[in-house]
Amino acid sequence: MTLSLFDQFMSPTLLGIPLMALALTLPWILFFKPGNRWSSSRFSALVAQFLKWFTKEIFQPMSLGGHKWALILTSLVLFLITLNMLGLLPYTFTPTTQLSMNMAFAVPLWLATVIIGMRNQPNLSLAHMLPEGTPALLIPILIVIETISLFIRPLALGVRLTANLTAGHLLIQLIATAAYVLMSIMPVVAILTSVLLFLLTLLEVAVAMIQAYVFVLLLSLYLQENV
Amino acid sequence: MPQLNPAPWFAILIFSWLVFLIFIPQKVLAYKFLNEPAPQNVKKSSSTNWLWPWL
Repeated sequence: MTLSLFDQFMSPTLLGIPLMALALTLPWILFFKPGNRWSSSRFSALVAQFLKWFTKEIFQPMSLGGHKWALILTSLVLFLITLNMLGLLPYTFTPTTQLSMNMAFAVPLWLATVIIGMRNQPNLSLAHMLPEGTPALLIPILIVIETISLFIRPLALGVRLTANLTAGHLLIQLIATAAYVLMSIMPVVAILTSVLLFLLTLLEVAVAMIQAYVFVLLLSLYLQENV
Repeated sequence: MPQLNPAPWFAILIFSWLVFLIFIPQKVLAYKFLNEPAPQNVKKSSSTNWLWPWL
């Protein structure tokens, strides 16, 4: 079987057992529950700071009805950031490169925000279809456009995360292959390629964190519109 | 692209939601924060200034 560049994204199986289960459950061993002390450990202090900062950022602009979502959105950001960052280590599998997983989170959560809006305040939710101050002639077209943009949101959420992470991992693999091959032929160019690889890895670390945050931020914005 | 392979889609969906609903909220809820953030419309009652008791 010829190896193609996309093989790193295949759902890993070993003797027919899907290892995706391991890739999804083992990262949580890294997070210990903090004990009852006032200050447990350095890592738990860092995680606590992050959770507090994140909760403030997302829920300060939200009305009180949306605060019920605090636990699920905070869990989601922790989930995504951990999976993204761990995927940058060599030989690890990143579940967030799988479109199935990202859509599995994007579609139900987006649909939940839409349904909440439609049930609690249907007039206001439907009014979002038409921005204020549109000229009367443009109203029909704009309604169609806004409805399309509403339904494209879950697709965009899922595909954005998938594509960003897949592209990053693919680039790392390509440039690393290039550096490795060039090492025997043109060592100086190989060193330059390695510098590029280093910078790219830094970028990927940033992208991993930002994309997880953006996913949850957009969900919280959709919630703010509807709650 | 192997991501578009429909075979494990449903299994991945179910399993990732199970992990997301079972393991992570336990770990998140275990963090206790000791301050109560007050809403912004609460007025602070004016308190007497503290001074050294022997002055």
